[in-house]
Amino acid sequence: MTRKPFAALSLAPAIALLAMLAIVSVGGAIWLALMNRTLRSPDAEFVGAYNFLRLLRDRRFFNALEISVIWELFTVAGTILLAVTLAILIFETVKKPIWRNLLCFAFLVPVLLPRVAAAFIWRFLYSPSLGVINYLLGLVGIGPVEFLADPSLALVSVAVVDIWQWGLFFTVILLKLLETLPRDPIEAAMLDNARTWEIHAYVTLPMLKGPIISLVLVKAVESLRSFDLIFVMTGGGPGTATETLDLYAYQMGINMGGRISYASAMSILLLVVTTIAFTIIWKAGRRWAN
Amino acid sequence: MGKLIGHAAMRIIPAVLVVVALGPIFWTVLGAFKELRDIVTPIPKLVFEPTIDNFVTILRNPTIRDGLLNSVVVVSATVLIGALLGIPAAHALARYARRWGDDIQFFVLSLRFMPPVAIAIPFIVIYLDLGIYDTLFGLVLVYLTTSVSTIIWLAVPAFESVPRDIEEAAAMEGCPPWEVFWRFSLPIAAPSLFGALVFTFVLVWNELLLALTLAAQNATLPVVAASITSLGKEVPWGVINAATVLLVLPPLVFIGLLMGLLNSMVRSGPK
Repeated sequence: MTRKPFAALSLAPAIALLAMLAIVSVGGAIWLALMNRTLRSPDAEFVGAYNFLRLLRDRRFFNALEISVIWELFTVAGTILLAVTLAILIFETVKKPIWRNLLCFAFLVPVLLPRVAAAFIWRFLYSPSLGVINYLLGLVGIGPVEFLADPSLALVSVAVVDIWQWGLFFTVILLKLLETLPRDPIEAAMLDNARTWEIHAYVTLPMLKGPIISLVLVKAVESLRSFDLIFVMTGGGPGTATETLDLYAYQMGINMGGRISYASAMSILLLVVTTIAFTIIWKAGRRWAN
Repeated sequence: MGKLIGHAAMRIIPAVLVVVALGPIFWTVLGAFKELRDIVTPIPKLVFEPTIDNFVTILRNPTIRDGLLNSVVVVSATVLIGALLGIPAAHALARYARRWGDDIQFFVLSLRFMPPVAIAIPFIVIYLDLGIYDTLFGLVLVYLTTSVSTIIWLAVPAFESVPRDIEEAAAMEGCPPWEVFWRFSLPIAAPSLFGALVFTFVLVWNELLLALTLAAQNATLPVVAASITSLGKEVPWGVINAATVLLVLPPLVFIGLLMGLLNSMVRSGPK
């Protein structure tokens, strides 16, 4: 066997499978979105753009869209800010390698947790009657705070869990990257009597611009998978205060009468928006990084 | 004085950060060994008589046992098939594919952008029509999107870092390409490849949405755990905590490996 057939043979099965699954899911979603199929009966007829037009008049859809955008911005910004702050804090204050390694191990634990597990852990902590957080707040005379039942707090409370998982993980990555930076520019800045924060703001962070942009992109993709966390913590409630697009599509397609065609139209829209957004971010990210 | 505070801060900061990272998990583990009356107290209890009743309850519960078994079957099948398909493909992409390589890699990566809901909803209908809705086979098939694309994405750099000289020398000696791959490239890349498999294992083990929508009855452990909200009148926090601990253990076994993977990625240079 020569090189070319071998390469083709080892590549073909994987790519064929991926292409099949991608075509079936995207094609299937488009096909369903143009029908009026429900989960209850297999009969359906072609309705054209009806489902999409109805989406434009659906207030709950626009609410979900708004919640999704807020969730995306809040979790991405929160994660990156926390990671940058903590990485610099640890870099400056924790000098002993053993302490640093211990911290890194501790910081990797939350991101490895299944979302369902993280959700339960924090529901337990947030609980108004027996949660530790409300006990501590009670000691200073606040509360009890209904973290997950108060519409104005619920989304932030869930986002905190997401930032807890990913922010600490990104802290480890940034800390490792800070350690690999060449010392010369930092020492030159120190000779110029630059303050610690100035060194980081003007020397180290600009040197890490490329990796930080990559992390923003990774987190932005990851934040779209908010379903597991929100589903277990609040189920989209109270009311629709934490209902993101994937939760609404799930509720429509499966829970509430199985209006699967309508849910498909929504997921198509989600797919189009994310594809456009990520192509733009991807291209722009490449340009900034260089 | 300022120096003194500085020294104190250096001691306190790491301790506070460790509590932030691990405290919530530690508290859940404690809760898993508590009786309900030790959980429902006005003042949180740190000292109590430990019990393993909660673990006995969940391991006796047939739904949870089935969930655990389904998870083990689905996750191992997904990772194994993903490795069989993904690793040779990654090697071909790293070594042979010149013209189409980048396009294929972008396609593979773009699959990871896809919102899971957009995969789940059409597959419900297709599976219902094909009669494989609510089967482990159907679930594995969908999970292969995740495992194959993740393994290719992480294994391409692993094969790229295998020195070309070794492969070329072997080819000069008359080794056919499959033998070069099997006897030289694969063993050299093996440690990084193992990391890729572990990462995939964690992703699939943790997944909820697809399992919830495509296999509601034959569900995996996350789905079963997510559905325990009440047994009887009260919220069974002890049992929930025990189930959480069970769910958390397998991914945590691999934490050392993840650390090694991270170190080697950072050392190979910021992207």
